[in-house]
Amino acid sequence: MGAKKNDILQGTLALLVLKTLSSGRRMHGYAITAHIQSVSDQLLRVEEGSLYPALHRMEQDGWVRAEWGKTEKNREARFYSLTAKGRKQLMQEEESWARLTEGVARVIRYA
Amino acid sequence: MAWYRRFWNVLRPGRMQSDLQRELSFHVAERAEELQDGGMSEEEAVRTARRQFGNYTAQVERTRDMDIYGWLESFVRNLRHAARGLGKTPAFTATVVLTLALGIGANSAVFSAIYAVLLRPLPFPESDQLVKLAQSHPKIPQPFVAPVRLEEWNRLNNTFQAITGHYTEDASELSGELPEKLKLALVAPRFLQVWGIAPALGRDFSPQEERFGGPNAVLISDRLWRRRFGGNPDAVGKTLRIGRSAYPIIGVMPASFLFPDRDVDLWSPSPMDAPYAQSRESTWFTAIGRLKPGVTLAQARANLASVQANLGREYPKTDAMIGAMIEPLKEATVGGVRRSLLILFGSVSLLLLIACTNIAALLLSRAAAREHEISVRFSLGASRASVVAQLLTEVVVVSLAGAALGLVVAAGASRVFRSLAKDLPRIEEIGLDWRIVLYALACAIAATLLCGIFPAIRGSRRNLAGSLAQAGRWQVSRYNRVQFALVGVQVALAVTLLAGAGLLLRSFQELGRVSPGFDPEHVLTFHISSSWGETADQKAARQRVDRILDGLRSVPGIESAATALSLPGVPAQYQIELKTTEGRAESEPKMLAQGRWVTPAYFATIRIPVVAGELCRDEPNTNTTMVNRSFANGYLAGSAAIGRHLVQPANAYLPPGEIRGIVGDARETGLDREPPPTVYWCAGSNQPGTYFLVRTHGEPRSMAETIRRKIHELEPRRSVYDLTPLRDHISDAYAENRLRTILLTFFAMTAVSLACVGVHGTLSYLVNLRQREVALRLALGAVRTQVVRQFLAQGLRVSVLGCMAGVVLAVALGRLLSGMLYGVSTSDTATLGGVVAIVLAVSAFASLLPAMRAARLEPMQLLREE
Repeated sequence: MGAKKNDILQGTLALLVLKTLSSGRRMHGYAITAHIQSVSDQLLRVEEGSLYPALHRMEQDGWVRAEWGKTEKNREARFYSLTAKGRKQLMQEEESWARLTEGVARVIRYA
Repeated sequence: MAWYRRFWNVLRPGRMQSDLQRELSFHVAERAEELQDGGMSEEEAVRTARRQFGNYTAQVERTRDMDIYGWLESFVRNLRHAARGLGKTPAFTATVVLTLALGIGANSAVFSAIYAVLLRPLPFPESDQLVKLAQSHPKIPQPFVAPVRLEEWNRLNNTFQAITGHYTEDASELSGELPEKLKLALVAPRFLQVWGIAPALGRDFSPQEERFGGPNAVLISDRLWRRRFGGNPDAVGKTLRIGRSAYPIIGVMPASFLFPDRDVDLWSPSPMDAPYAQSRESTWFTAIGRLKPGVTLAQARANLASVQANLGREYPKTDAMIGAMIEPLKEATVGGVRRSLLILFGSVSLLLLIACTNIAALLLSRAAAREHEISVRFSLGASRASVVAQLLTEVVVVSLAGAALGLVVAAGASRVFRSLAKDLPRIEEIGLDWRIVLYALACAIAATLLCGIFPAIRGSRRNLAGSLAQAGRWQVSRYNRVQFALVGVQVALAVTLLAGAGLLLRSFQELGRVSPGFDPEHVLTFHISSSWGETADQKAARQRVDRILDGLRSVPGIESAATALSLPGVPAQYQIELKTTEGRAESEPKMLAQGRWVTPAYFATIRIPVVAGELCRDEPNTNTTMVNRSFANGYLAGSAAIGRHLVQPANAYLPPGEIRGIVGDARETGLDREPPPTVYWCAGSNQPGTYFLVRTHGEPRSMAETIRRKIHELEPRRSVYDLTPLRDHISDAYAENRLRTILLTFFAMTAVSLACVGVHGTLSYLVNLRQREVALRLALGAVRTQVVRQFLAQGLRVSVLGCMAGVVLAVALGRLLSGMLYGVSTSDTATLGGVVAIVLAVSAFASLLPAMRAARLEPMQLLREE
């Protein structure tokens, strides 16, 4: 399977998920993919195969909290929300992302 | 995620899996719905959604792994760190693991004994319903119950399912080539019903077999069945020859059935309707009852008391003074050893505590030595929790290793224990099972917390700037005070244990120094089999005993021979009340004395001197007695006693006995007891279990074969057994005492060595820490002896404080030993002083080594290294 262009760069998935959750709403996995897709104007597509391991990993690390709940359609789903630790992590990730992009941008501009 | 949830995940992967599936299938369903909204058919939508999701099972697995890994990973990382750290310091690791193995092993071994003996229910169904019953009499201790009364109690009560009884005698079994001595239990009806045990093979006794004159029947033990019949089921129906009668085997008891005691091989009914069983005054059954479900001990006591009160009104002459005593069977079986076991348990727990303190001190030194490493970790962003977790993991590893090794120690120790304490009740039930493993694990966890938490918390104190700034420069550490306090605690606990051991040892020594008033050396004792049935013909029985004694006296090497119903020096009580036919004033005290049945040669055989009057003679028609000095002086104004006649009001059959002489006082009821007033009935005894005593010229054991041959010549149908020197009987009687002393001494010595290791280790550490300072002082002209004195004083100060605390603790705990001591008080100054002297001497030596090392430092070399 060849890598699609809009596959998410490794290591940035956590940043995207944290940012998505930073609005303070509880969201289930499907909503998170849908949100990232729609906000990025379909430029980014989250692989389910990466999303759930990542979510559970983040839960282990204490960045997100998960609990069972019902959707509007009355389906059982697992909802995720951001913890204080996750918020701190988000700040760090945003910062390092900014540095990375700035660095890359400079290289592209001046090299 | 909370730690318990993670733990739950590891333990219950199935549940986690289904949670995951729910979560992931929700995603697929949502996606399918969206596709359907976009115009796909339902079927196609589901298929597409699934395809997009990829390999579903693989996703489930990968996601699940994330849940477990996060937790496991850090655990494994800590484990790896710990293993590497421990591997780098093998001496430290070995010391800690071995110390813990000893502590946990000894503790688990004693716990296995406590569990088997005290905690586990007796090996019978609903064993808490089983009770032991006895007649009580305000004046005369009566452990046994008369057969008639047993039947009446059983019939008239309404709180018991059934009451039964048993007594034992030694039987000669003659169906083999040589007569074999077997222990036979004669049992009242309902015996198996009360125990709630069925024969493993065959059947219970039938009502006919329980009647007088009915057919004989015998149940045999599993042990005898395997030994004699090779475990062949055909054994049922075969016949044993016991004494003069043939007994068909009707069944085999299970191997676990060891009642009345573990030596019994045969059970046979004792007919309650036999003419000889109708007296209300002769008591011989040990009575056992099974309470009805839900009946309390108090209810049973009240019920049986009213039953016996009614009997008292019906038979005022015999029953008015008698009461009924009930005690739980388990209490009656193991109550006597509870205190010994608990004391042992207390001392091994102290030992474990010392071991933990020791390890805590070691860990503190280790944490101090690693201070630098830890501050580096902090500066790299490690959280305090993760540093504590890492330090604790190390302790977990060593304590688990210690517990595993400890179980090996415990297995060995409980084997030693079993061989040392042969007389402990229920000893055959002691063993290692999963409960003991669990207990050892619990010990390991407790040890981890005890010795790990404090050093871990101390070690992980954040002191970044300070510590890094001093990189490599040693400074007198703040851990010292805590460490010395821990060493002091060790010394105190060691002193406490050693004081306990010292008191027991002293008491043992005192016991050995006692002059018993008789000479137990060169006396051999044994039994010759006979049965209660033979006692019906008193004259024949008496002649038989006389013939045997005459035969023995004719053997060269034997000085004298006698019989006695109980052995001198082995604790036993047989208190009787006496009156004289000549009468005494009402105001005088009641005559209570120990009654002993001996042949006249008894006094010469164990060398009790006749001090007044003459030696009694065994005359067929008159009854003669001897009394000891305490009896004569206490009750009958000394030598005026001679010629008076004694009767025993409780035993109407016994004709009055004339006092012929007075003998010296002897400690016959136990070496640790003052000689009580004693009356000797010179009629000898011919009942089963009578001891034969012979005084030999040489080593008593060497005469055993000669005696066996002589008896076989005189009485070919009887077996001779239990040939044992009197000295061994007496020391066996104090076996529990001895075991307690040996074990406690062993524990105390271990404790003292551990405390010394503690003193030595801590002081060595201190010397290491301060070697630059010492070197500097030496370079500036300090005298070496000064340095030695300084470190020595530091070690000794801790030891002295520890000893003081230990003495206080020992005096406070000494009460636990009262009643076990002979001839020393619980706060014996000599013992306590000796203990303190020993501990101080040993700890001075332990401090001297590091102190000397400090003084031998080469200042120039060290300072150059700076």
